[in-house]
Amino acid sequence: MSAAESAQVRDHEEQIFETASGLTIEEIYDGNSIENLDYERDLNAPGEFPFTRGPYEGMYRTRIWTRRFQVGFGSPKESNERIKYLHQNGANGFVITIDLPTSYGFDSDDPIAAGEVGVTGVAISTLEDMENLYDGFGPDSVSYALSIRPPVSSVTLAMLACVAEDKGVPLNTVIGTQQNDPFYQMSGGPLQTTTQFFPIQGTLRLCLDNIEFISKNMPRLNWMVTNGYNLRETGVNAIEDGAFTLAHAFDIYRMAKARGLDINKFPLRGSFFLSCSVDFFEEIAKFRAMRRLYARTMRDELGATEENACRMRFSVQTAGNTLTTQQVHVNIVRSTVESLAAVFGGAQSIHLCSYDEGHGLPTEESSRVALRTQQVLAYETGVTKTIDPLAGSYYVENLTDQLETAITNKIREVDELGGMAKAIQDGWLEEQINAARYKNQRDIDSGRKPLVGVNCYTIPPEEDTPVKVHKIQADEWGVKRSEYLKQYRADRDSQKWNDAMSKIDSGWKNNENMVPIIMNALRNKATMGEIHEAMRQAQDWSFR
Amino acid sequence: MSTQKRILLAKMGLDCHDTGIITVAQQLRENGFEVIYLGLHNTAEQVVKAAIEEDVDAIGVSFLSGQHMAQTRLLAEAIKENEIDLPIICGGVIPDDDAAELRNLGISEVIKPGTLTEDILILVNRALKV
Repeated sequence: MSAAESAQVRDHEEQIFETASGLTIEEIYDGNSIENLDYERDLNAPGEFPFTRGPYEGMYRTRIWTRRFQVGFGSPKESNERIKYLHQNGANGFVITIDLPTSYGFDSDDPIAAGEVGVTGVAISTLEDMENLYDGFGPDSVSYALSIRPPVSSVTLAMLACVAEDKGVPLNTVIGTQQNDPFYQMSGGPLQTTTQFFPIQGTLRLCLDNIEFISKNMPRLNWMVTNGYNLRETGVNAIEDGAFTLAHAFDIYRMAKARGLDINKFPLRGSFFLSCSVDFFEEIAKFRAMRRLYARTMRDELGATEENACRMRFSVQTAGNTLTTQQVHVNIVRSTVESLAAVFGGAQSIHLCSYDEGHGLPTEESSRVALRTQQVLAYETGVTKTIDPLAGSYYVENLTDQLETAITNKIREVDELGGMAKAIQDGWLEEQINAARYKNQRDIDSGRKPLVGVNCYTIPPEEDTPVKVHKIQADEWGVKRSEYLKQYRADRDSQKWNDAMSKIDSGWKNNENMVPIIMNALRNKATMGEIHEAMRQAQDWSFR
Repeated sequence: MSTQKRILLAKMGLDCHDTGIITVAQQLRENGFEVIYLGLHNTAEQVVKAAIEEDVDAIGVSFLSGQHMAQTRLLAEAIKENEIDLPIICGGVIPDDDAAELRNLGISEVIKPGTLTEDILILVNRALKV
């Protein structure tokens, strides 16, 4: 019998009563399941410690979650035109996606960037690029969340500070986000992406330089969004997701504290980006458990004395890795269930994957369906009208407890290894991820994990819906950007450029905060790639 | 002489979505293939050089961020320049229209997301003509 057939009959023969991460599910839950629950200690009102029921008083009754628009393709000018169009139609918050060369700190004309320029996001190589991205807007009025990590986020932060100064906008009024997650920002396992092009210790130092610069000068700017999403997309389960995300964030908090930053202040501008997968109740329990565990850890282990500093806020994207390439419209149902779990989990912002992700970049039509799905949830279904409606459910509270305990135990494992940076460098995290990947595939092959349209309820490919995707113009963008950068470098004062570049070397070696030094280099027309190369050289490090 | 088939797997360009290729590497190993996985960020020259050095029977590449056409063209050119004759298998998020174009470039098989192991083995063996 094929895997597909066995999965189809399995429904009637046996079911597996466990959550996606393997926790046993009982036939029925009752008062005994939550006998240790203490309302004030474990739940409390929304906006009150430990924030299990939500980070804010009022929640969606005060304001529906944010529906940010993702923008970013080709050149900064093209992206800015798109932002202007969306802004005229009422949007004022944008996630700016960055192309892969920029994400690794390479200029658009670096040979390594061939075929990649402007494909997965916008290319940013110069201060002028950032000026063009902000054309028509002040960084105090429109909020850009830059999906960018260190070392690159030190350069984009410096660009943002320069743009603000040039526009006469005081730094302490600048809004927006630098994602700034040193480990999980790139897709896939983090080992090679965090070690191949830049030393991991240098990346951590720049992450902390950014946090320090932002918390001292730009108190309205969000300095780090811990990216649990990309980590979860590798295939790890909800427990590992919660644990690896929080363990990593707490490590960074401890390092920031060690730099003398105030644990009651800097966490106010830190937040999280999380995935919501398809196992409905487990994901809801995960979000509630993470909020409670965050609050308790901040108070009991990191020494926060103000409740505000213990409030965990997060945005959610539905899980791309639950979507299928086959029978694509079924994906709309998966994303709907996932976004409903995100609502019951109390997310501050939600983004739905487009149903055609398994074929290519989303079209206008598939993006619109994703947005409309949220609008139906928000404005038609009534699910927003009371806060945390699943609180007190025997099952959900029991599961929330189990998730909190399991996540705590996994965090201890990471701590015993010496923290997340070490767990990544030693290959331990990669082993955990790979074990999860192999298990997922085995479970799909065997039918243990039913996947509609893949291992059950399949149709022949010729009967499946044809899918049109967004066309990319990578070659054209690459040529234009090369010409632009050639001219940019030709038009600069080479003596001033030289002086600025040598300050990068001395600043690095003297352990200065690199952000002001990079600002100076940018003003003297140093490019993204040159600044990165100078920082690598200052560490006596090379990869080519 | 061993009859075990050797397959070189690699990610090319800057795309770092490696869940698919790492999973496929394991599936192939469990089904009797010898797999050499080069990791992320390889150039066409690096892939071809490794294919020659390791004396493999096929090359497998995977793309999830839209670089499949540009990178596969480079790989096909590098293979031609080095005068080697090896089947190339391409996996990942690849639009239907592009899959047809990839076959025109000489790609033996295009494997989409959601392909079960038993079907992957059929496609790989077909590319290897066994």
